[in-house]
Amino acid sequence: MDADLQTHIAFYLTGKRASSHLLAVDGLKLRPALFSNYRDLTRLRYDFPLVLVSDRPDGGFVESLSGLIDAILDKIARGDDGERIRKHVLRLEQEIRTRVAKGDRGLLSALWDQAAPVLGKDDKLIADSLSRARANLKIDGDVVDCDASMPYHLLSHAWAITQTQRARKFGKDINRLVLKLSDIIKADFVNSDAGKSAENLRASFGTGPMDSFNFEAMSRILIKSTPKKNLSESRRQRVQNLLSVLQNQKFFPTTTAQAEAPYSFAFDTCSDALKAYRERLPKAIELAKAIAMAELEIKGEYSEAKHDALFESFGENGLDAGELALLPDYLVRLNYGKLTGAEQSQLNEILAVDLPIKILVQTDDVIEESPLGHGHLAFALRSRQLASMTIGINAVFVLQSPASSLYQLRTQIQSGLDYSGPALFSVFSGAASTTGGLSPYLIGAAALESRVFPAFTFDPSAGRDWASRFSLAKNPQAELDWPRCGFAYEDASNQAVSEQIPFTLIDFVACDSRYSKHFACVPRTHWNAILTPVGETVAQEGRGQLDSVPCLMMVDPDNRLQKVIVDEKLIREARRCRSMWNSLQELGGIHNSHAEKLLASEKKAWEDAAQHIAPPATVAPTAAAATPATATPAEQEAERSPDEAYIETARCSTCNECTQINNKMFAYDGNKQAYIADVSAGTYAQLVEAAENCQVSIIHPGKPRNPNEAGLEELLKRAEVFL
Amino acid sequence: MKSSATDCLLKLYDEQHGLEDYQSGVPRWCTGCGDNAILAAVQRLCRDEGLRPEKTVFVSGIGCSSRFPHYMKTYGFHGIHGRALPVAEGIKMVRPDLTVFVNTGDGDCCSIGAAHWIHAIRYNMNLTVFLHDNQIYGLTKKQASPTSPIGTKSNTTPRGSYLDALNPLTITLGVANASFVAQAVDWIPESLFDIVKAAYHHQGLSFVRILQRCPEWLPKSLDPWMQDPDRIQLLHHENALHLSPGLAKVYKNHLVHDPMDMNRAREISGHEDIIPVGILYQNREIPRYEETRQTGVLRTTETVRKGFEAELDKYSV
Repeated sequence: MDADLQTHIAFYLTGKRASSHLLAVDGLKLRPALFSNYRDLTRLRYDFPLVLVSDRPDGGFVESLSGLIDAILDKIARGDDGERIRKHVLRLEQEIRTRVAKGDRGLLSALWDQAAPVLGKDDKLIADSLSRARANLKIDGDVVDCDASMPYHLLSHAWAITQTQRARKFGKDINRLVLKLSDIIKADFVNSDAGKSAENLRASFGTGPMDSFNFEAMSRILIKSTPKKNLSESRRQRVQNLLSVLQNQKFFPTTTAQAEAPYSFAFDTCSDALKAYRERLPKAIELAKAIAMAELEIKGEYSEAKHDALFESFGENGLDAGELALLPDYLVRLNYGKLTGAEQSQLNEILAVDLPIKILVQTDDVIEESPLGHGHLAFALRSRQLASMTIGINAVFVLQSPASSLYQLRTQIQSGLDYSGPALFSVFSGAASTTGGLSPYLIGAAALESRVFPAFTFDPSAGRDWASRFSLAKNPQAELDWPRCGFAYEDASNQAVSEQIPFTLIDFVACDSRYSKHFACVPRTHWNAILTPVGETVAQEGRGQLDSVPCLMMVDPDNRLQKVIVDEKLIREARRCRSMWNSLQELGGIHNSHAEKLLASEKKAWEDAAQHIAPPATVAPTAAAATPATATPAEQEAERSPDEAYIETARCSTCNECTQINNKMFAYDGNKQAYIADVSAGTYAQLVEAAENCQVSIIHPGKPRNPNEAGLEELLKRAEVFL
Repeated sequence: MKSSATDCLLKLYDEQHGLEDYQSGVPRWCTGCGDNAILAAVQRLCRDEGLRPEKTVFVSGIGCSSRFPHYMKTYGFHGIHGRALPVAEGIKMVRPDLTVFVNTGDGDCCSIGAAHWIHAIRYNMNLTVFLHDNQIYGLTKKQASPTSPIGTKSNTTPRGSYLDALNPLTITLGVANASFVAQAVDWIPESLFDIVKAAYHHQGLSFVRILQRCPEWLPKSLDPWMQDPDRIQLLHHENALHLSPGLAKVYKNHLVHDPMDMNRAREISGHEDIIPVGILYQNREIPRYEETRQTGVLRTTETVRKGFEAELDKYSV
């Protein structure tokens, strides 16, 4: 066996560098080849930084800086100086992005006002472009970059906006209820003797010719002449209690609330949130009950006999989703790495019992080593299992995503916040300390690309099946095992080479210094055909023949291509990662094995059937085929005997002709349409007369019941046309 | 607010009303009068929809048909000639929670009340308007009305009326913001009820012209249509009314008509030999005046006082 092959395979199987020509990657500052173009993110236009906006007409809570700048340029970069304005404003965008990347924070307007004077200091044209753009900056808000604290700020902001909108609606409802309830009390006072007293009448008069009125006389007349119908004591008490509950509630700040500060609903531990929820539940029930009772009171529909018992037991089984939707949702922000066992069990309790709590679980490290040690790897298992397990509960909204994709998933975040039950937002921040200076945005994006931390949403309110509820839409090239990206470079003879290479878990792990021992750099002099792209090895099942070694393309700080071989442990992890991704794909309807099996069997059945079908005969349409469908016998009404007296009741137009003749023989049914109630309650002559008078001719007199009735012969003749 | 368990429980306690709960007194209309059929259909609607009598108002003008509110055990307003619509609009404006019906006759609506009719269509407030069209002034004992067919002999036109009849459907369809226009005849109770029901459910002004017989003053006028079912054309469509097998069997002249097709609606409603029955036009997107005028501001004593003072300040010297 070739010496190089021996050395490389030994490393592949054992992870030990047996020969000195294999170099350790520590200190080489290598990064995956596909990252070669992303050394300085501030020079690129992408989603970040973000601006946390409020009071948008569309209810949005976040905008990207580049999106805002584009909107401004659409307005002002027109005409002869359009290109110049565009260039200058984009330069400002880059300046703001650079400042934010260095840690500057604050309102967009403040950052703009700091950056613009620096750029426009010596150039009037730049100053002009930027001042015109500034005049069109109508949106402001805190600027955040993709860092460890961004998910916390973004979700807290989105949640706060959702609660503000809910508070606005709640305040409106409460104000209306309070006003209407107060009107009941006020109307009762006006109707009471005290309300009609001379003093009160005088006080209600305002200013004017007071002497022209005799308020005492007016009071006497009013007290004597108007009916006394005051509120019962129990109703007054009830209305006053309702007013007190509504005005003193602390769930939302409203104009009618008393001085006490409203409750806070944002927490950093599950136990605090649960404790607050339990403590406030009686108050929440009291408030929901008061709202339901107040609605009945103001409509005048509250009946003590009917409703007292119902409201006495109100809330004994807690509140349902519809009632909880009136109140604020709780927000809990957790860091998965710091979760204690007790907190984990509280978290499970919240998720399992359908509480209105939105939970952000942030993970900073998705490829931590297994707690078992001894080199056992459990990449992404712990952090991913939380979201996957929660989907199993079926009633929880689940969103999993790296922080880098949260902007793309803003609509889904809003859906989660609007969802009436619990929601879990599992986010990978990308801000680990072992990534060799790669930005959290890049790490987050790499986690998404490499399927280590795929993005998905599970929305129980979207429908009843997986196809409606589960979505993998934001993953790149979701139909493939690994997304394939174009990579172009020059080879040793300066020839341009371009190829499509997959981005796998191994590319992601290669960014992390903790796992450098699983990689070994092969000097250029030892490059040969046995170095096979990692993607090919991962695609195989099992070990196969050991005639090649998986190799990853990486670049050094000078952007020179390096080849790095990988040990088998990582290959196994990559296969496991792919398998987990394949399961998600199936849930998301991609390469679903059940559907594919069914499709194959249906296709086969169709092909078999197609072989046996005789060519269609060319037969002329028969007369029967042309018969309209309306004449089917099923629709034919049962023929009635011409001897029987009856009315086609459904066609009766309630004209009273027959009931005027004999209201015992003819009567109206529940829809006020006539029928023969008692044929023996009148004569045959009356039946015939009614048939003749009926304007829609739907009375059929039948044959006479009494053969001795006078004038039968003539009556039968008259009846003939109605039989 | 979302529907909660409490809402569902409270609905169980809602009172159920029978047809008789909406009946008030014995109608004074003549035997054979088409108003009876309309009354039966409307009372059936109230029962089936569970309309609360204290939340329902019938407003009318003057004429035979305008006695309608007397026979409904709900709130009612028997108004002045031709002014049913402005009264109903006022009620709806201040009490949008009420269900408001309008009963008006051909003289009441199409003659003295014509201006109100046009503007009510344009306002498109959520009212259900029944035009009881018997083509004659009946209460005052036979004078020609705007919808009397040309040649109608009456006390005011002893030699026969000289003018072509006005067509309330084509007029309504010509007014801006018309959102629901239908035609029914009193002698087909099933379709009358279906149309009344559809009109009630429409959000906006539903205008239903109901051709009705007057057995006293024009007893034979509608006989050609009543006695020949083929001269009745039932309109149906997947987005409008569906025909029952029973009805389709008796009335065999059917037409599929899309209620969004205004041009076709105008064409159909202009027919004279054949009476189209069904929904001619329905557009659910037209805004309702009472909603466009809502400010969302609660009318507290303070707001009302401030409003008054601001108005009066304009005239202070």
